[in-house]
Amino acid sequence: MLTHNLNENIEGMKILVLNCGSSSIKYQLFNMDGQLVVAKGGVEKLGMKGSFLKHHHEDGRQIVFEGEILDHKSGIEYILGVLTSQKYGCLENLEEIDAVGHRVVHGGEYFHDSELITDEVIEALVKCTDLAPLHNPPNLKGINAMEELIPGIPQVGVFDTAFHQTMEPQSYMYGIPYVLYEKYKIRRYGFHGTSHRYVTKRACELLGRDFESQRIISCHLGNGASVAAVKDGKSFDTSMGFTPLEGLVMGTRSGDLDIGVVTYIMEKEELGMKSASTLFNKHSGMLGLSGISSDMREIEEAKAKGNERAKMALDIYNYRVKKYIGSYIAAMGGLDILILTGGIGENADTTRFGVASGLEFLGIHLDENKNKGFRSEGVISTDDSPVKIMVVPTNEELMIALDTEKKVREFAKS
Amino acid sequence: MASEVIYEPIEEFGLIKKKVSKALFSKIGIVGCGLVGQNIARVASFYGIEVVFIEVSEDKIRDAYRNIEKILDHRIEHWGLTQSEKRAILSRIKGSLDYKDLAGCDFVVEAIRAVNRGGKIKERKKIFQKVEQVVDRDCIIGTNSTTIIITELSSEMKYKDRCVSFHFSVSSREARIMEVVKGLYTSDESYAKVCQFVKLINRKIIPVEESAGLVSVRLFVVLLNEACEILMEGVASMEDIDATMKIGQGMRLGPFEVADKMGLDKIVRWMENIYAEFGDVHFKPSPIIKRLVRAKQLGMSTGKGFYEYDEEGNRILNSANNSTIC
Repeated sequence: MLTHNLNENIEGMKILVLNCGSSSIKYQLFNMDGQLVVAKGGVEKLGMKGSFLKHHHEDGRQIVFEGEILDHKSGIEYILGVLTSQKYGCLENLEEIDAVGHRVVHGGEYFHDSELITDEVIEALVKCTDLAPLHNPPNLKGINAMEELIPGIPQVGVFDTAFHQTMEPQSYMYGIPYVLYEKYKIRRYGFHGTSHRYVTKRACELLGRDFESQRIISCHLGNGASVAAVKDGKSFDTSMGFTPLEGLVMGTRSGDLDIGVVTYIMEKEELGMKSASTLFNKHSGMLGLSGISSDMREIEEAKAKGNERAKMALDIYNYRVKKYIGSYIAAMGGLDILILTGGIGENADTTRFGVASGLEFLGIHLDENKNKGFRSEGVISTDDSPVKIMVVPTNEELMIALDTEKKVREFAKS
Repeated sequence: MASEVIYEPIEEFGLIKKKVSKALFSKIGIVGCGLVGQNIARVASFYGIEVVFIEVSEDKIRDAYRNIEKILDHRIEHWGLTQSEKRAILSRIKGSLDYKDLAGCDFVVEAIRAVNRGGKIKERKKIFQKVEQVVDRDCIIGTNSTTIIITELSSEMKYKDRCVSFHFSVSSREARIMEVVKGLYTSDESYAKVCQFVKLINRKIIPVEESAGLVSVRLFVVLLNEACEILMEGVASMEDIDATMKIGQGMRLGPFEVADKMGLDKIVRWMENIYAEFGDVHFKPSPIIKRLVRAKQLGMSTGKGFYEYDEEGNRILNSANNSTIC
């Protein structure tokens, strides 16, 4: 491994960012000189009938490559093939790719930071598979496939859980027998770490503040959603736990729930483990509450037409976020910046209003005029608001590319 | 320019310009779509495989489709599935009257119901040959039968090495096991391919040597016969025999409940076939079962067997069929 030509002084590194799911691969090719996205796209329906690769060319064209894509290796092979093709490519040859960054879902307690992939790292990743049986195996497949296709290329794993590894036991331990933590590593890990890290840093950059001395709450509100408390540049607490099911009410996930409810429903409805998991992961949340959809826009529309359950679902959603904000302010002893990100945080001004209104006594003053229709990056609180409320569009891919660049340079130097 | 979408075949863009083989088990065929056929179709489609099933009439196709839909709806009601998953599953399943539609299948399973043993083998042999005419050389042809010997079934095929037998559990639709049998002629390659299919649909493989009744059916028929003996001798009531096996032995259903679910007519055929093979009286259908079959009380499907059932197929409380005890 790592026989590739490494040069810490290399200018405009080209970094390929891969996000391998069980039946999909998303990719972005960055030119780090200016942090430009040179090409992006994704493989979908991997290993199934009707699989295809969709490539967004720099010039705005979209190309759909249809045909059988059997596994991660052939998927990545086609991605590299397209990137180096004469017709649609943007690379002369594969040697132009300086490094590859992978999104890896679960790093367990092994990884507190992004890591250059080595045999030891792979070994640790395999050990984490138990904790994320659906997500980690495809991530590993992507890493192995890349090593086979471009032997020796530097690869970096960027973990969803790593940012939250700074949490103290008071934040991450559950109130269950300690022996279960020792035996199975059952604890809160938290997810969306790359996103929380990106937006909190970015917010400080925009405000010209020192990341290491701020108390920030970051609300990543997408189909999956979590809140993170970031104090002095470190994740202090976050709402997702052992799995992404804990915390906020999400598109189809229940969020926090009394475990008594789980066992009671399982008994009453005669549910097995799998059905129970489907119930709480896919039938619950905004979909289950509203009975309309998991899509906020559709629920908003229904509310506007007078649908009571839609209104109730939206109230519950906002209330849960608000509760977490309140508790994290108490936990951190105050707040300097409140960030909204993710599909809903970035676009839904009504949700932002619902979440932030009524918190003026905590120094959170939303500027309703700025908030209305705000769809970019910036401050939406009043000028005199003690807490800055910001919308920061997340960019996990860029974060992965930046980490990859950093790790590779560090290694080249050493 | 921005909205322009161009379509290209992907094969031209691989790094290594090798011939791309098609995904294994992207399409399977089922001949005969009764309960077992429906289960195979539903499970395979759930795991992303296209399914074509062959039936003898449009009505039967409609019935099969409706039943699959019913089971999926039941799963949704019990939180095991979402509406969009159901739509995706149904969209991958097609019914047909024409064997030619099996062309392109990687695997074709025969899952018909036939009345007697002699006729059954003849009919199944005919199906195997018909299938062989329309599929590619590398397509595997299998039977779901447990009491028919695959070597016998494949004896008149052009390529005998592609034939296997496997058994999809009937008593529990979601049981994650499958017995896979290698016949005398079955090639290692064909056997390995079937194992791959079984893994693809997330079942544990139980390799079984060629033997009538395999493991599951052979053990079950003896259990049921003995349960009938106990009942006839007045040792315990039907409910209590079931309860003993459920609570005491951890079975999900008692022997009488399983029998009603599988269908007593089918069980009698199994018993007769296994008895014909081994000649052991333990396998001979108990008089109770024969009496119920004669009275067309076949179990859940007819609303009455060892117990009685409502229209939804739910067991009616305290409905043990007293006519079973003479």
